[in-house]
Amino acid sequence: MARRGLRTLLLSGLFAAALAGAATAQVLEVAVDASPVGLDPHRATAFSTFQIINGTIYEGLTAIDKDLRVQPGLAASWTIAPDGKTYTFKLRPGMTFHDGSKVEAADVVATIHRVLSKEIASPLASRLAALDTATAPDAATVVLHLKEPSAPLLVSIATIAIVPRSMETEKEALQRAPIGTGPFKFKEWQANGFVALEKNPHYWRAGAPKLDGVKFNIVPESATRQVGISSGQYSMLPNIDAATALQLKGKPGVKLAETLELAYSFVAVNTSRPPFDNAKVREAVNYALNRQEIIAAALFGAGVPAGPLSPALKDWATPTSAFPCYKYDPAKAQALLKEAGHTAPVAISINVLPRQDIRDIAQVVQAQLNKAGFKVELKNQELGQFIQDWRNSNFDMFASANAGSPDPDDYFYRTFRTGGSTNVFKYSNPEIDGLLDTARTMQDAAQRRAAYDKAQRILACDGPVMHIAYGQLFTALRTNVQGFEIIANRSLATLADTTAK
Amino acid sequence: MLRRLILGRLVDLAFVLVCVSIVVFAMIRLIPGDAVAIMLGANTEVTPEKVAALRAQIGLDQPMAVQYWHWIAKAVQGDLGTSLWTGKPVAAEIAAHVWPTLQLTMLALVLGAGLAVPAGCLMARLRGRGADAAMRVVTVAGLTIPSFWLGIVMILALATLAPSLQLLGYVPFADDPLGNLARLALPATALGLPILANLSRLVRSAMLDALGQDYIRTARAKGVPERGIVYRHALRNALIPFVTSVGIMTGYLLGGAIVVEQVFAIPGLGRLILGAIAERNYPLLQATILVVTLGFVVVNFCVDLLYLAIDPRVRA
Repeated sequence: MARRGLRTLLLSGLFAAALAGAATAQVLEVAVDASPVGLDPHRATAFSTFQIINGTIYEGLTAIDKDLRVQPGLAASWTIAPDGKTYTFKLRPGMTFHDGSKVEAADVVATIHRVLSKEIASPLASRLAALDTATAPDAATVVLHLKEPSAPLLVSIATIAIVPRSMETEKEALQRAPIGTGPFKFKEWQANGFVALEKNPHYWRAGAPKLDGVKFNIVPESATRQVGISSGQYSMLPNIDAATALQLKGKPGVKLAETLELAYSFVAVNTSRPPFDNAKVREAVNYALNRQEIIAAALFGAGVPAGPLSPALKDWATPTSAFPCYKYDPAKAQALLKEAGHTAPVAISINVLPRQDIRDIAQVVQAQLNKAGFKVELKNQELGQFIQDWRNSNFDMFASANAGSPDPDDYFYRTFRTGGSTNVFKYSNPEIDGLLDTARTMQDAAQRRAAYDKAQRILACDGPVMHIAYGQLFTALRTNVQGFEIIANRSLATLADTTAK
Repeated sequence: MLRRLILGRLVDLAFVLVCVSIVVFAMIRLIPGDAVAIMLGANTEVTPEKVAALRAQIGLDQPMAVQYWHWIAKAVQGDLGTSLWTGKPVAAEIAAHVWPTLQLTMLALVLGAGLAVPAGCLMARLRGRGADAAMRVVTVAGLTIPSFWLGIVMILALATLAPSLQLLGYVPFADDPLGNLARLALPATALGLPILANLSRLVRSAMLDALGQDYIRTARAKGVPERGIVYRHALRNALIPFVTSVGIMTGYLLGGAIVVEQVFAIPGLGRLILGAIAERNYPLLQATILVVTLGFVVVNFCVDLLYLAIDPRVRA
């Protein structure tokens, strides 16, 4: 009898210890919905990877702060030559990589060569398109020579993670075992289970990080994630949508951080074939859309009507009140369709990105367009099919969402310039081309702002993309988590200053 | 005779594997949107040259038959290739995911099949009474409720009733045996209950069938107690359809494991397969399906061998 009692005691003790084990070390338990596609910052550019590595494991020469402005990163300072073609960066002293090697200018140069190399085939290469040469005159100085002035350069290089020079030609190693300079270093990746990071004790910024580690648990089912944060097993659900946030609102022990998203939802049209080759029909779509109603119906009211640039970009965005076609007016839409020569309802189909909020938005768009002289068929597609049709410009209209960028050139040039690399709409407008070509080389901020203001006014009503909404972005946290700041580009870089007591 | 039987089964097994390998190979390539499209994603900057280079790198520029030959020739030598995304050997990826699934399906099978025999016998003995009818209604419910729904409801119930128990996710048995079993209890139940419902109905009807046979009447006539009749004489004959079903159930279990692993965040083969389909990870998907198929046919091969043990007539 006594023996049995002892065994029960021992077992329950073990059980309790197993449950309590996680609480002793200060490891932040984060639940995310998808596995990273790899951990190489130059090859894996999917969002599932970005939120785990950006600002936690890896850092760039510059950094983007919570107001989406450029700050010093690994470079403590920089100077720009008067012609705008030479940038000289001074690295901070005494920095090391997670493998113990020193961070020197040669590592930065090797990183840039790695991003541009054919073998690595990095999707980030185009961000360095303006670059001519990169040199390291001494161990603490990096000089970038450009072919032509590039205003967005400082923003572009924030996303180029600096890696050790030994990785320059190494193709697979970083995918599984990343080596960066950030506040956390890689510890373990259990495929489909979790990615665990631990404190980098040699981090260059004094007093950071405060946590002993961060564990990204991969939990695909939304209901499971919600139960996990309600019960306290997880302490953070980063970058969740309004629907999930609403369900967690008011749960004891849970708080929400929120910000206006840089990412936007939109519908876009093919300007290379009827009916949307006609600018009047594109304008009609804008008059037919009631953006407030879409936000109320599909985004639970959490969002603002979208112009071409997010109001989160305080320095750049032109307010939507400046766009005449943003006034909801279905009669005007029908009149425009008549002017364009359409007497019967205009039959079109919409390819829909397989994501719940986009599906919801597409349904409201369908109803609104049907009221204004269109006849809309929705095609709910599987992701592979959607991407294929997108790439081949095989659509009348599609509904989707894009991550935004802190600099307007990064979005506008490749999307709206004639022949731009993601201009799948085949949009071509000489006036826009001229504006975008000159704006990217302008050194004067006010001049540049004026050029993009003009571009936004044209794109809003004539362009191939009807921007719908910038949603509200949420991160759910346990109330004991302090110091975390949500950033509109979905980076979790502020984990460096987060505590969980 | 026996040897010929086993040999014949082995040939069947090889044939199934070859067919499945072809079907899977073709199917994943026929879905629109290839690995390169997914890899580059929507809204990244892409030049046709980059797409062509990536396609060549993966071997997608070759005719499908050539691709298949390259793959199968290596596979029979034990080289399953490397994952398109992580660059890890596919065999290592599968090895890392196989244990949670094996453990989960075994637990569910033990639970489902183990309880099905006494439950089925009980229902057969209570035939026609209210308790039998009630149990049959319950089993119909068990058959129709999908595992993933049951799983979500169980998670929500646990969170409401015992919020201090934090049992989501998975820990390896070697790290923490108790935590491992505690975390697998709910998913194994969610996966096992439909099997219990299905198999207990089967045992019941097989049992009733057997109980109507002449030899049972003989046994009764010579005064064997009812318990002995049910468990010694009838059960053995009733077990043949049961064993067949258990073999087929392993297929159901592997399918059910995919959704249950998704709900309970268990890093098993199901998650590996789903991920591989979504990212069009050809080598990984092909190999994983092949391994799962192998498991399924081997189990059914063992079931065939089990007949020999249970029913001497099969040997003749």
